Amino acid sequence: MQANIHHESVRHDLITMLPRLKRFADVLVGEKRAGKALLRRALLRMLTDQHRYQRGTPLDRWAFAEIYRLWLSELRNHSDPLRQAKASERDFERLFPKDQEADFDALTANFLGHLPPQQRSTLLLVYGEGFDYEDAGRVLDTNPDTIQARLILATASLADRLGSASPAQAQASATIETLYPRKSQDDDQ
Amino acid sequence: MTELSDELLVAYVDGQLVREQTRAVDKVLEQDDVIARRVDALKEAHGRLESAFEAILAGEVVEVLAAPMLPPRIERQRGNGLGRVGLAVVGIGLALAALVGGYGWPLVTPDRTALRQPALAPRAQPVAAATPAPKVVPAPIAPTTWQEQVLRAQALLFGDSVEVGLESQGNLDLVAFQLAQAIGPAVKLPDLQPQGFKFVRAQLLRFGDKPLAQILYLGAEGAPLALYAMRGSGDGEPAFKQEGAIGSVSWTDDGIAYLLTGEEDETALFRLAEKIKHEPAAPDHLALAPAPRSEPRPELSQVPAEPGAPASYPAITGSAPTSQTTPPN
Repeated sequence: MQANIHHESVRHDLITMLPRLKRFADVLVGEKRAGKALLRRALLRMLTDQHRYQRGTPLDRWAFAEIYRLWLSELRNHSDPLRQAKASERDFERLFPKDQEADFDALTANFLGHLPPQQRSTLLLVYGEGFDYEDAGRVLDTNPDTIQARLILATASLADRLGSASPAQAQASATIETLYPRKSQDDDQ
Repeated sequence: MTELSDELLVAYVDGQLVREQTRAVDKVLEQDDVIARRVDALKEAHGRLESAFEAILAGEVVEVLAAPMLPPRIERQRGNGLGRVGLAVVGIGLALAALVGGYGWPLVTPDRTALRQPALAPRAQPVAAATPAPKVVPAPIAPTTWQEQVLRAQALLFGDSVEVGLESQGNLDLVAFQLAQAIGPAVKLPDLQPQGFKFVRAQLLRFGDKPLAQILYLGAEGAPLALYAMRGSGDGEPAFKQEGAIGSVSWTDDGIAYLLTGEEDETALFRLAEKIKHEPAAPDHLALAPAPRSEPRPELSQVPAEPGAPASYPAITGSAPTSQTTPPN
């Protein structure tokens, strides 16, 4: 009886976290279709092997770590990991909802799309999820110093890009790069 | 000019410094414009990253509400692996049945209030509060309540769904025979195994006063695929339609109207539809099956009932096949 209650509780909590888990899988993989497939496999594994979940551990940390572990294990088991398809810039831009085209930040999307998956996930966990370095490190199976180093590298690099591009340049490059052209300032008013 | 590393400044922007360090950096910022501009750029980068992740989350909420990813509840005390597949398909079938009625996924409707809380509160709030506030994205409004959607799905069930059903899902010949009896001799029970979709089960539903066949497959990655067949008229070329995360291709062939639905993209669904169009109709399929028609059929009573079938949804009969009469390659 207790086991069933626990099972239902885990299941319910996973359901409430689905958008966050899906965002993590999508950002990690860099595109929607493969991200969704990864999440589906990870969820099935979590529900089947939930005895591995230790009560007291925040479920979201465990779930993120399970997705990451599965991704890494599939990468390692790939017959030729170096030849694995890399998500394209366009695939990554599709992670952003189309109906937000006015707010679409092409420069940041382009920047994120070119980062390695581990670095993207680090940024997501700390800036998107609000995890501290230790929790992010536990999810990504690395130490807090590495998390910090990744954040510094990525944030400083994006800041450099922002600094080097004048507003006009940023706007122009955004128009070229994005699938969803920005509305003009007048349209927004 | 004071020399401060990006390491220190990013830690400052992220609120990772202790109070004394933060004050020290604050003082430097008051006196050094170059450092202040760098901090502003780092703050902007930080804010843009937060906003980008917020935007992605907003899109995920819409998608997850349209087509949740968790399989239906699993009965843990009974059944084996095949039983679990069968149970998972119970929900999938009901949901796809609702799709036929023009509605979205009826089974799992997560608490949208919870969904709009994307993350736990950050443990370390940035000290510098000049980063742009994340955008508040309004939650999508579901077209109807889950109860209304389930009622629509329920309308597709009728007596035969519950009492007769398709008793042996393990015997494709018998399933094809029963489908042909209910829908018409030209109806197809396609083998999509070479395309990566394993036949799981079939059942009869009802649309108005017409029987509606639902044939369910499971893809290699766990994504369901459903083929619906109903008596129609004439021939019609395949047409694609997208409904949330679920795509569909509908066509009419030999007086049978088909609807193929799943999470595959347009190209994949069209390819599957073409394959189905060229599949022999049920009687031919039976003729091609390895077991000769003259062999005795298994007694219905000998077919084990699905042990995990939930009492609350009795229309689900039979289990995933243990073996298939797949035509030899």
